[in-house]
Amino acid sequence: MKLQFKLALYNALTKLAIILFTGALILFSLERITFHHIGLRLLQKKAELISHLSSKEISQILIQEKSFIDYNILPEEYIDIEPLKTLYNNEKEVTFTTELRTIDKKTETYRILKSGFNYTGRGYSLEIGETINGIDELKSTIKGFTLLMLLIALSLTLLIDLIFTRYLLRPFYQIIDRKLVKVNDPMNFDYEKVSTSTQDFKMLDDSISSLMIKITNLFTLEKQFIANVSHELLTPISIISSRLENILQQEGLSEENENKIFASLKSLDRLKSIIKSLLLISQIENNQFNKNARVNIADMVKEINEEFEDRLEDKKVTIINQVKNSFIMPANLSLMYTLLYNVINNAIKYNHKHGTITISDTLKEDTYILEITDTGIGIDQKEIEKAFNRFEKLDTGEKESYGLGLAIVKSITAFHNIKVQIASKKNMGTTFKLIFEGQA
Amino acid sequence: MNILIVEDEKSLVLEVYEFLSKEGFTVENAHTKRSAEEKILVNNYDFILLDLGLPDGDGFDLLRTLKNIKNREDAVIILTARGSVDDRISGLEQGADDYLAKPFSLNELLARIHAITRRKHKLESNEIAIKGFKINIQNRTIYYNDDRINLTKKEFEIFNYLVLNKKRVISRTNLTEHVWGDILEINSDSNFVDVHVKNLRKKLAQFAPIDWFETVRSIGYRINI
Repeated sequence: MKLQFKLALYNALTKLAIILFTGALILFSLERITFHHIGLRLLQKKAELISHLSSKEISQILIQEKSFIDYNILPEEYIDIEPLKTLYNNEKEVTFTTELRTIDKKTETYRILKSGFNYTGRGYSLEIGETINGIDELKSTIKGFTLLMLLIALSLTLLIDLIFTRYLLRPFYQIIDRKLVKVNDPMNFDYEKVSTSTQDFKMLDDSISSLMIKITNLFTLEKQFIANVSHELLTPISIISSRLENILQQEGLSEENENKIFASLKSLDRLKSIIKSLLLISQIENNQFNKNARVNIADMVKEINEEFEDRLEDKKVTIINQVKNSFIMPANLSLMYTLLYNVINNAIKYNHKHGTITISDTLKEDTYILEITDTGIGIDQKEIEKAFNRFEKLDTGEKESYGLGLAIVKSITAFHNIKVQIASKKNMGTTFKLIFEGQA
Repeated sequence: MNILIVEDEKSLVLEVYEFLSKEGFTVENAHTKRSAEEKILVNNYDFILLDLGLPDGDGFDLLRTLKNIKNREDAVIILTARGSVDDRISGLEQGADDYLAKPFSLNELLARIHAITRRKHKLESNEIAIKGFKINIQNRTIYYNDDRINLTKKEFEIFNYLVLNKKRVISRTNLTEHVWGDILEINSDSNFVDVHVKNLRKKLAQFAPIDWFETVRSIGYRINI
């Protein structure tokens, strides 16, 4: 969940809790207060009643030993006096209850004072009730009001919180987006500060920037190092190989020595290939190539296939070229050539004798996909990831592999924003997918 | 023919010097841009082998100086470890005749020198004869007496290179690099060269015995005449 929503949710929840709590508190204390007031009123009534006991009407009723119920036209209050057989023990004792009573065929909830008194030598029980329907109505009104308030407050806070946190967090997301997500090469890092008044974000921005400066410095150093080393190594190799070639010209050289010299030349060649590959990768990563050629992939595939004729013949491998779309993209000609050359070369190199290579393509809207499928030895799923690392030699039984072919492929595809997918099954073959998106 | 080597690596100069001298060239050296400039202004050369990274300047400047002198036809071959495509293109655009990336094979250098010589001087000896086989480099054809032998482009290249470097063992690697160019991550020991050589031999042997076309075990080939 996004931080923005979390904050809004947290705010909403705390507000909900506060309103619910105060609502409950109000309802609870409302009951307590009204009950207290009713109790006081009932006590007053009781006192009034007892002080009026001498009045003629009541005493008459009491003497007739009948119970007495008195109520108003609206049965909001009632008084119930019943004669007891014995004397009422504790005249001072008063209890309050909340019970249902049916008076004049209407059942309502009453707050009831229960007590008793003795009059003219007899005991009477006394109930004075007051309806609390009014309070219940008030309570439900308050409940409704609270609920409404709750809903309004909740939606308002959610909205405001969302807008505010959005505003508050915008620099944060900008930093994430501009400084972290979109940076795929520290060389092209955008050092312009994201404008914010939040100090924490400023700190984050500054920390990322200073980290990037460090990384860029290391990167540049590494690239320079590789370029320098490669360059400085090529001249001595040139000297050694020339010297060895001159020795070969000498007459009277034994066959054994001749073989040794050729073996040395071969090792030098291997060294040369490795250095040149590293140099190429470093040059691509340093953006030392332009993209000012318009490359037709189909034509290039055809050209490379012709180039491979001899190798195909040697391995008895057949290429089935099903490329049918004409896809033209701005690219570096020699790099694209090297890329396709390496991919097809791998398909031949790791193929079985009498195997086939199928090259096909699809063009949908602005996405062009080139697929190179071989019937070769395949790669393990978990080795695919590793395959693109420099000097990563897979267990392919290929002696002459330097483990740089796919590293070159990786840097060229990265340079041209081409996506690469490899699907492979051991001993079934490999499918190499190059995905060109929106580059025509 | 006289050749000027402009190169600051003295050991490399020594080797190139030795090789080209044995081939019958008159060779001179210059280790700095300044001394090279002096030599270029004073003498005409058939070939200038030019290193781009000189201690006191860029080889390109030297190339420009040379091209600004009128009536000079010195052929320039750039030798460099820079090896970037841009360098290659700008070198050729500025009037260099060829471009060899270090490390290069001396045989390859010789082949380039021969190719430029033929191009420049439109040599009458566009035909090389070898044991009755006549190679016409211009038309890229090969005849035995009056019978034309049909070779593929690659077979012709291989034969031509071996004949040019006759009496020398040419390794498969060297041959591959010459015929297929300098493609990276090439399978240097692949025997696909052998396929071509096998076919080439078959085609030649139909006309005459070719025991002079030797296979040097585990190394490469030699035309031993």
